[in-house]
Amino acid sequence: MTPLPFDPLASGPLLAGAVVATAASLWLLLPNGRDTSSARWLGTLLGLGALAAFILAGRRLGGVGEEAVFLIVSLVAVVSAAATIVSRSPVYAAIWFALTLAGVAGVLLVLGAQFLGVATIVVYAGAILVMFLFVLMLAQPAGLAPYDRVSNEPFLSALAGAVLLGVLSLSIGRLSAAPAPCCGVPSRATATPTAETPPSSDIASESTTAAVANSVAPAIDPLAENHVARLGGELFGRHLVAVEAAGVLLLAALIGAIAVVSRGEAAQAAAASPSAGRSAAR
Amino acid sequence: MNTMQSLPLLQNALTVGAILFSLGLIGILTRRNLIVMFLAAEMMLQGISVSLVAWSRYHGDWGGHVLVIFVLTVAACEAAVALVFVLQAFSRTGRLDSAAWQSLREATVGRTVDHELPSIDTVPPRFPTLTPAGILPAADEDEPLQREHV
Amino acid sequence: MQEFSPSTLLVLVPLLPLVGAILTVLLGRQLGAKAHLPAIAGIAGAAAVAVMLLAATARDVGPAHGVHAEPVRPVEMIATLWNWATFDSAYAPPAGSPAADPHLTPQDLAAGKDIRSFSIPVALRLDPLTATMLTIITCVGLLVAIYSTGYMHDDPGYPRFFALVAMFVFSMSMLVAASNFLLVYVFWEAVGACSYLLIGFWFTKPEAARAAKKAFLVNRVGDFGLAIAVFLLWMSYGTLDFHDTISPDGVIMPGIFGQTRLADAAGYVGGILGTAICLLLLLAACGKSAQLPLHVWLPDAMEGPTPASALIHAATMVTAGIYLITRSAPLFAACPGALTVVSIVGATTALVAALIGTVQNDLKRVLAYSTISQLGYMFASLGTGTLLGFTAAIFHLLTHACFKALLFLGAGSVMHSMGGVIDMRRFGGLRRVMPITAATFLVGSAALAGVAPFAGFFSKDEILAALHAKAWPAAHGDHHAAAAADGPFQLARFAAEASHSAGSAVGLDALDRPETWQILFWMSLITAGLTAFYTFRAVFMTFTGPTRVPEGAHGHGHGHDDGHGHDSHAGHAADAGHVGHAGNAHESYESPWTMTLPLVILAVPSALVGWLLFSTNWLSHFLSATPSLTAPAVASTATPHMFHMNLAIQGTLAAAIGIVIAAIGHLGRRSDGPQMERFLGPLQTLFANKFYFDPIYSALVVRPLEGLALVAAMFDRYVVDGIVDAIAGIPVALGGIVRRSQSGLLQRYALAGVMGVLAIVVLLAWQLRG
Repeated sequence: MTPLPFDPLASGPLLAGAVVATAASLWLLLPNGRDTSSARWLGTLLGLGALAAFILAGRRLGGVGEEAVFLIVSLVAVVSAAATIVSRSPVYAAIWFALTLAGVAGVLLVLGAQFLGVATIVVYAGAILVMFLFVLMLAQPAGLAPYDRVSNEPFLSALAGAVLLGVLSLSIGRLSAAPAPCCGVPSRATATPTAETPPSSDIASESTTAAVANSVAPAIDPLAENHVARLGGELFGRHLVAVEAAGVLLLAALIGAIAVVSRGEAAQAAAASPSAGRSAAR
Repeated sequence: MNTMQSLPLLQNALTVGAILFSLGLIGILTRRNLIVMFLAAEMMLQGISVSLVAWSRYHGDWGGHVLVIFVLTVAACEAAVALVFVLQAFSRTGRLDSAAWQSLREATVGRTVDHELPSIDTVPPRFPTLTPAGILPAADEDEPLQREHV
Repeated sequence: MQEFSPSTLLVLVPLLPLVGAILTVLLGRQLGAKAHLPAIAGIAGAAAVAVMLLAATARDVGPAHGVHAEPVRPVEMIATLWNWATFDSAYAPPAGSPAADPHLTPQDLAAGKDIRSFSIPVALRLDPLTATMLTIITCVGLLVAIYSTGYMHDDPGYPRFFALVAMFVFSMSMLVAASNFLLVYVFWEAVGACSYLLIGFWFTKPEAARAAKKAFLVNRVGDFGLAIAVFLLWMSYGTLDFHDTISPDGVIMPGIFGQTRLADAAGYVGGILGTAICLLLLLAACGKSAQLPLHVWLPDAMEGPTPASALIHAATMVTAGIYLITRSAPLFAACPGALTVVSIVGATTALVAALIGTVQNDLKRVLAYSTISQLGYMFASLGTGTLLGFTAAIFHLLTHACFKALLFLGAGSVMHSMGGVIDMRRFGGLRRVMPITAATFLVGSAALAGVAPFAGFFSKDEILAALHAKAWPAAHGDHHAAAAADGPFQLARFAAEASHSAGSAVGLDALDRPETWQILFWMSLITAGLTAFYTFRAVFMTFTGPTRVPEGAHGHGHGHDDGHGHDSHAGHAADAGHVGHAGNAHESYESPWTMTLPLVILAVPSALVGWLLFSTNWLSHFLSATPSLTAPAVASTATPHMFHMNLAIQGTLAAAIGIVIAAIGHLGRRSDGPQMERFLGPLQTLFANKFYFDPIYSALVVRPLEGLALVAAMFDRYVVDGIVDAIAGIPVALGGIVRRSQSGLLQRYALAGVMGVLAIVVLLAWQLRG
């Protein structure tokens, strides 16, 4: 694809138009008790228009294949995200969220985060989302509850979100080609290609060198073979304490959840029994 | 891959992350169902994750990845504990409405109540009944086989 | 005991009562029934010291020689304690005023050498006038304090009373000892405040509170005059000190009554400015000494306890006006018109007060009007402007202090025994049951009426002599001719005439004619007769006739009633029906010894001091050494001391006529109301209503001021408070508006936070663009 003659992302009117369109579409789409289908169609159209603006403003990547893949997964993510927040039924919202997670996992994979892409699916979609669905099963009334059909301050919220999006896009568009090296580590732009995969015996040496502060990390390439191994080496090398702390946090959350539930049950039982006793005595 | 080429990828990925984050923000501010609010919060975290991984790839650093792993961990813990609280809240008020909790308001300000909404005709659910074995249950053509509204 | 210097002793005289007052305030509760001890100790110490100072000053003055001796040189001692305030480069006196330094050249004026500094030294002075006044104040104060231990015995405010009495003695001592007009003003106000507190001692009684307020406000009018006079004095003389002071660069600053200025023939301002100063001083003196038209507070002041009346409104505070004018004698001598006004005011007041006093039924009111009348006598004498006039006024002040205090204390003794009743129509014939009180009261009345040889006779005779000398100068001309042969007197007389001619531009001087003085003389003579009349009317009504005692009086026959309420039995009620029972002649209603002892002590000088001082001519010789009275304008009018037989006869005749008429009307009879009314006819109403001064003042002054106060109160309540409340209501209103956003819906709070953060982010992005 030929690059566009102008710089869309930094172009003011396009960005402003995208922001306005986003705000208007979300405002129309969010549940507001009126439920007219014309509003929903208009909102959808405006949303698609905003999406088109963002696509136009996007940068051109290396090849058509890369562009297409990235476009598809990001579209899935974004459209599903929008559908999540405008669905009236919370169950549908959860399912749309599952699709969003799929899209996000795709984006992560395109960016080369193999482990994280899969972890997103497994942990989020597999565990957390299921938990949400369980709660919905327990607590959601049949049919559309009245509080699912109205929103809090849709106009202001949509405007705020859209403005935030506009500002962030503006800042992203201004990123220039020579950023400062992050955290004292020189960015290995000219890192060795993926063909330079050291044998597994070098993994330990690499992880130790990685564990030693501020050593040069090899490039993160989607097709690198020992991506997870190197990630693991990084994690348990440099960030060992944090990992252990995260483990303790998980344990604490687990115990805490159980404790709260049990206390709540005990309180309910205590509240139930005297009233049961009183009603029996009457 | 040199930086000249990965900058567009960075920018695109950051844009995606920004969009997810903003949508999640709007969702939290707007929706009244507690579960949908938490879904939107998780969506914000997804946007953050995408941004972090994008930066990490651009710099060729593992830092972003590591942070995303921790974000994942903390999100899991938070979801667990938060859902417990949502259930507690539900058991007190009987509904998953964030507007059910208004006791932080000023004493002189009245309680915010919803306007009357136009009703949605809901067909009362008709659950299938079991007939004794041996007899084919009579199928009712008018009766829907499953719930239309969830 | 080491030698105390006179300046230390002088400081002790006000200091000891002040310490006594402070100790009474601090320890009054603990001391309880002995709360009088610090005050009495302080006043007694001050009295002893004052007598010592009197003796020392008398020694300095020297014995009296014959009339042809050299002029008496002034005696004064100044003790400067500290400098209260100093203002460098305060002002530059206008050229030509007495304050300006005539030796300054124009170059000095351009260089600013005429700019003076103004300082207020706290300086006390001791001269014959001050010594006399201090003795009177402290001795009478001591006797009144001793009396009060008996009179105020059961009163719950016992410590407060003694603290106030001691505070008053301190203030009055400082007033007469201060050597600076500003200090005089300060203590002028202080004695006014003490008077207010003592009149309103029983402040829960509305009449007492009202009377105290009235006294203070009427005095305030006089104080205003004093303040303006002080300003004018400073403008004219550049200093407020009485004595000469030396500035740090060695220049002598002549005080207003300092010896450099007194010796200067043109030292005093005459003309309109001088007359204005003198009339303002007269206004102040009228306020404090209850002269027309500011006399209305003194009769109402009888609501206070009787010892307070005796001390303040008879003997000491009301004499502050006399003191002020005597001290300012050189100022007045430069404005003869003002002097005449003083005499006119005095004589008129004397006559009017005497007329009102003839129809009063309240014993204390009679004495109050008699005080006003006698003070009028003193003013009349002061206004003659001669040395005899000034010394006669002080002589009368001295004797008046003795016998009026005696009379008031006696009235208090009667009131105390009669259970708070002081209406003379409700009791009678008390000489049988209160012998000591009756005897001393009789002595005092005789002194007041001017019966020879009691004290009042001589002092009144001197006053009449002073008036007579101004009214018929030819009769005294031979004395002046004899005096003119002396050189120093001649020179002094020329100086006096020079200052007289300087002040003749003012129209008031036209009053200074013998005809005016003749009228004043006859007025004074008639007043003498009236004085005798109402005094003995009171004596006969109270002490003669059948013995009647009102109910509630406590005699010693059947024990003491406690808790007699002085305030509840105000004797104004015209209930003639409530007459009371005929007292048992065997019962004694006499007061305890703490009350009768001061009566007896005061009776002695009331009887003897007149004869003593007159025969030796000691007092006038002593007083003539006061610096103010050594001014040539005053000292040149000195006449030889002689006994004017014709005047004595006239005075005694007037007194005798008065006593006889009183006897005809009231000796041995009962209530006399119908007889007086029949006799006086419509005049009775006029006198009984006090010449309608109070209603006139009420309509002219009090009601408009009350209206103004009401307007001010309304303005304060609705406008000022309204504005303040409106301003106070703004945050409340704003809060009410903002409070509505606290809905309890957390998402709205979050939205507000997000919008705030967005604003910051947008701002940052805007700053960082490009």
